[in-house]
Amino acid sequence: MVKRGQLKIQQMAFMLIAVTLFFVLAGMFVLVLKFSDLKKTALGLEDKNAMLLVSKLANSPEFSCGSAFGTSKINCIDSDKIMMLKNYVQNNKDYEDLWGVGKIQIRKIFPKEGDGLTDIECEGNYPNCNLITIFEKNVALGSEQSTYVTLCRKEVDEGYIFSKCEIALLFVYPEDRTNE
Amino acid sequence: MKKLVINRRGALEISFSWIFAIIVGIFILFLAIFAVTKIMKTEETISDVKVGKEIGALLNLLETGVESDKTKSFDVPAESRILNRCHEEGLFGDQGIMISQKSFNKWTEPEIESLFKNKYIFSNRIEEGKTFYLFSKPFEFPFKVSDLVYMSSSLTNYCFKGLKGSSGLKDIENDIEKLSQGNLHLEESEEKCPDNSINVCFNVASDCDIVVNYDGGYTKKDGETLYFVNDALMYATIFSNKDIYECQVKRLMKRAKSLAEIYSSKEVFTTRVGCGSNVGLNYLAGMFEGVKSSGELSNIPIDDVRMKNDGMECQLW
Repeated sequence: MVKRGQLKIQQMAFMLIAVTLFFVLAGMFVLVLKFSDLKKTALGLEDKNAMLLVSKLANSPEFSCGSAFGTSKINCIDSDKIMMLKNYVQNNKDYEDLWGVGKIQIRKIFPKEGDGLTDIECEGNYPNCNLITIFEKNVALGSEQSTYVTLCRKEVDEGYIFSKCEIALLFVYPEDRTNE
Repeated sequence: MKKLVINRRGALEISFSWIFAIIVGIFILFLAIFAVTKIMKTEETISDVKVGKEIGALLNLLETGVESDKTKSFDVPAESRILNRCHEEGLFGDQGIMISQKSFNKWTEPEIESLFKNKYIFSNRIEEGKTFYLFSKPFEFPFKVSDLVYMSSSLTNYCFKGLKGSSGLKDIENDIEKLSQGNLHLEESEEKCPDNSINVCFNVASDCDIVVNYDGGYTKKDGETLYFVNDALMYATIFSNKDIYECQVKRLMKRAKSLAEIYSSKEVFTTRVGCGSNVGLNYLAGMFEGVKSSGELSNIPIDDVRMKNDGMECQLW
């Protein structure tokens, strides 16, 4: 037969377990909220980095025209150099980590190449193409950030070498690490 | 008062249920305190890493185009220490930033390092304050290799002496004037240098913390010599300590080597349109790779390569 005192202890033990469980659950709920917020912050920082990077990437040494096409220009990309960079990155995969993003791509938008509807990736067909994917990491990508740039290269016409510049969009895709 | 009974002899009699409740209560309380401490530590780490990442993102804005010499300042939410770390390993090495913030009058233990491969920050190993200044300069060797970022705390004042009236140093004087950075002062200007300033001397012999021999291409500070070959590196010698400086120079040479190889490929690639040249970039890439310290930079024939490129019909950069 259960005594009255034993019953009270049992009652209290149940109560304490219930209170503990309540606080544990409440704590877990707060933590889940915090961490989902943290993931958002991380993604926000990656996006911010990509946004700031794309605005200045064209002026970085691997991309910029420098004085190769006359005077120094801002947001001018040397497409001959970019093709070499693309090959270099393929042979040196560590180069992909230099900018801390998942993908960098340049799409020529004017004048249009081919039928203007399908993208033609630049490989051996250069310069008769409109898309240069410098690299694409095998990771989940965030939403892209883009900026307008001038894409310049050297051309020759009847033995006369000249600079040809076209309009392009530079795309930077941040890595999406929210599912890691 | 039913449970707690003071017996006749004065001893406190506590029932079992009270003892049980107190023990379990203490256990729950300790558990809660432990959890709160852990969460606070995690929060501090998150905050440190967030500030580190934000600084890294901010550095993108210092990428120079046609214009250069920009000053940016940023404030951190609490008094902070920015730990500048440099790692040489890998294709480009890494720029590391760790943040320690003052919380309840104690510095947080920095745990996670934010790493950036394309940034080169020159500063002391630890910069402390709430406001920090950044300015950048392009490092050309002979092509642009990267932008060098100089970081200093608003609490550290630098007083530049001996620049006025020296024709060879006019550019540096103009640079500092143009920057209008709150903690950089010219001794000869109307605004006098604050008393606690670090004295940076050009052609001045006395009362100097840092002595820059501009023509000789070296800076002496803390009893050590740091070598430079252009203005961008000269500023780097002033704002950073030797370890950081030498490490960043090696990282810059790694980047320069890769760029030289890319330009070398471009040199061959552009022959398809009739651009012919022989700048000798593979040789240069080899020399970049061999650099072990800043003292070896002056051995690299940069001017020859620059002149060859400038004289070409199709310039590579």
